Amino acid sequence: MTAFILRRLGTLVPMLLAVTLLVFALMSLAPGDFLTPVKAQRDINPALIAELSKSFGLDRPWYEQYLRWLGNILRLDFGYSWTYKVPVAELIAQRAPATILLSVCSLLLAWGLAIPLAVLAAARPGGWIDKLTSSAAYFALAIPEFFLALLAVWFAAQSGWFPIGGLTSLDHDFLPFGAQILDIAWHLILPTLVLGLGGVAGTLRVLRANVLDVLRAEYVTAARAKGLPEKVVLFRHVLRNALNPLLSTVGYAFAGLLSGSLLVENVMNYPGLGRLVYEAFIREDQFVVLGSVMVGCTLLVIGNLISDLALAWSDPRVRYGR
Amino acid sequence: MRTRHFHLLGLGCLIFTACTKPPAVSREDHPLPDGIDTARVEPGRRGGVFIQSVPGEPSTFNPLVSEDATSGGFIGLFLDSLTRYNAVTQEVEPGLATRWDIGADNKTFTFHLRSGVRWSDGNPFSADDVLFTFQAIYDSRYPNRSAFDLSVDGKPFRVEKVDELTVRITTPEIFAPFLEYVGGVGILPKHRLGPAFQDGTLQKAWNVSVAQHQPDTLVGTGAFRLRSYQPAERIVFEANPHYWRADSAGVRLPYVDFLVTKLVKDINASTLAFATGQTDAEGLSPDNVAWIERFAKRYEFLVHNRGPSPNSGFVWFNQNPGQDASGKPFVQPHKLTWFTDRRFRQAISHGIDREGIVKGVLFGRGQPLWGPETPANKKWYNPNVTQYPYNPARARALLAEAGFRLGEDGKLRDAKGNLVEFTLNSNQENQLRVNMATVFKENMRDLGITVNLAFLDFGTFVGKIQDSFDYEAGLLGLTGGGDPAGGMSVFSSQGRLHQWYPNQKTPATPWEARIDELMSLQLRTLDYATRRKYFDEVQKIMSDETPYIYLVTANAYVGLKDRWKNIKIPPLGSLVWNLDELWTVFTP
Repeated sequence: MTAFILRRLGTLVPMLLAVTLLVFALMSLAPGDFLTPVKAQRDINPALIAELSKSFGLDRPWYEQYLRWLGNILRLDFGYSWTYKVPVAELIAQRAPATILLSVCSLLLAWGLAIPLAVLAAARPGGWIDKLTSSAAYFALAIPEFFLALLAVWFAAQSGWFPIGGLTSLDHDFLPFGAQILDIAWHLILPTLVLGLGGVAGTLRVLRANVLDVLRAEYVTAARAKGLPEKVVLFRHVLRNALNPLLSTVGYAFAGLLSGSLLVENVMNYPGLGRLVYEAFIREDQFVVLGSVMVGCTLLVIGNLISDLALAWSDPRVRYGR
Repeated sequence: MRTRHFHLLGLGCLIFTACTKPPAVSREDHPLPDGIDTARVEPGRRGGVFIQSVPGEPSTFNPLVSEDATSGGFIGLFLDSLTRYNAVTQEVEPGLATRWDIGADNKTFTFHLRSGVRWSDGNPFSADDVLFTFQAIYDSRYPNRSAFDLSVDGKPFRVEKVDELTVRITTPEIFAPFLEYVGGVGILPKHRLGPAFQDGTLQKAWNVSVAQHQPDTLVGTGAFRLRSYQPAERIVFEANPHYWRADSAGVRLPYVDFLVTKLVKDINASTLAFATGQTDAEGLSPDNVAWIERFAKRYEFLVHNRGPSPNSGFVWFNQNPGQDASGKPFVQPHKLTWFTDRRFRQAISHGIDREGIVKGVLFGRGQPLWGPETPANKKWYNPNVTQYPYNPARARALLAEAGFRLGEDGKLRDAKGNLVEFTLNSNQENQLRVNMATVFKENMRDLGITVNLAFLDFGTFVGKIQDSFDYEAGLLGLTGGGDPAGGMSVFSSQGRLHQWYPNQKTPATPWEARIDELMSLQLRTLDYATRRKYFDEVQKIMSDETPYIYLVTANAYVGLKDRWKNIKIPPLGSLVWNLDELWTVFTP
């Protein structure tokens, strides 16, 4: 088992190398660099620009910049943000909690809602629950995330029931602790819905099909014949088997949530990694972009690893190692 | 069931607290310093929260690192300077220095510091802090913008301490914008930043991470001090209890308890926040004014017209006679002949319907522009420059004089029979520029000139203008205003932003030589009238020769909630430059 995990983590190295090389090359090919906006200001001395360009290494060819960055990575130095003059690791750590909070909430929403609904829908195919969830799922899948985010912002502005973006209220600092928690929860509702709704719909469709498949299995007939209550049949025997294919996609789902949050965060003014990365891309703040790309890749690999392990735990037929 | 009730109750409380005022604030009270500055404003009442929003994010709170306006704005809130700039009168006023003497040589400035001033942590302020600030700026370990601004031909100013409250600064040559530039230097606390200066980490001091975790270490003399910073969410400043200004009733400024800035994604989000009553003040672009005004009554604000903005928009032709590494000229030779002909440029200028641009692109909220400065720059704007009103007949006459002929097919050709056609570049991000370029193309078609439009990414365009020079014509804007010294890189023929032909070794034309001469003359005198005379001539030459064909300047608008008193709206710069004097009768 340990060997399996190590082998999996080992694949991370060539992948990170390839991805960062690609990102670095593309960023160098793109017109302009971090200093372009500075160059366009009329009262900045050319000598200062030359000095900054030299201190950032921007006067060197891109492959030399890349090798130098790689050398620093080996010493676990991820560089610092040119914009903020703060180490990249610190910057990402500063913004990551908000994004993780949002991702976890959406994932919980997606699974918490999709699993019972899918089982209930599949229990009576063509029943009213099935019809209702199917049409709702198609509807949710048809709306692009960014549009849903815009709708949510519009809804918040029109109704006044929810805050328009952000994670905390203006007077957050002055609230007692309990109220601070509630304040955050209140701000989380809309972004969670926007990010999670697509997940609910997708999971629901896949799981419903799986449950229907499993329902036809002989052991289900056996369980029913034994006289087990329908609830036990559905949730203990059917669901556990139907869940397996879904577990293997959880890794992708996790990485997908991060990329989805980039969009949602920017539309809904949410203070997480998504906004940081987007701004870093726009400004071509090299090390921040590379750092966040690395975090994204690592999460994808680890997410997949976790789903494989979960599969092994839930399905006795799956074994790793050896 | 009980928990659900609790949640609903909590939510109700929250919505309720969001609408009522924040808890009562008790402010620290310290005796006023003997050198207190008495603001000449209507005495007001303390209390209230001023809320604004800013697109983007401060990149630092350290003035030695900051290059962008957003960070600079926040730094200006908690760091004060020797002098203060009155945005309405555009004059320099006393700041941390109560007065200053100028030596007979016009190079020696003796600043007498305000006595009894304290830093926001209660430590006394003295000449040592001023010395420390300049020492940090000039230190080669910390390359920064101010080091270049505060030098003459690469030579730094000499800064000496005369006594605890007197500082003498000597410039190597007479340096005209001295007071204005020194006024921009926020004085740093030696007792706080001294250690970082010693061990070489000064540029890492006061970064966003420090601001988030230890806001109280950002110590200044300004009206406010940092209370908290939540990245991508908000910055909260609170009144500095040691601030050096008070009103005539002896009440220490600022009146407001808190200044809250929401950090939003972009300018649209910022505008929207104001239009929906969430913020107290906002600069508005002319194309947004109409719809925002519809909300004025509901959210109790007013949109004020500040008059012309300091932003100029212009078209120019590439007059660079050089060639690239492969020996190919930047501009085709026959086109270079047109572009360097003054009559051609003047004809183009006469062919542009600027009134049409104002009406069609700016919805009437702007005015034609004829010279490098806009009327917003009251102190330096020269209204008597050569104007080129819309006159296609005059344009055709000038073109004929320069040897161009209009063919049977309605197309213009030069003396050698080449079709007159060029490509105009602009940046795609700016919709107003894209629209202006379209009007320009239509206007030129009336003269028989074919203009191809190519909109580029801003980075690509700047690369063409400053590095590769492979373009024919461009449309851009520059933010002017302020002292003529700020325009050095544009007007001087060696300048980096002398866009029609930058970085010249020697001036290419007699008029560019004359501008060079005038620009260095105006730097070497402190007399406003003399400088004004020189700079007026620069503006006149620019309009005569039209290397930049100026188009229009949009009006600037600001929206402000009705509840604020002592508002003084300046023609340019931050609209709440006198934030310390604002007060309100209502609390939010």
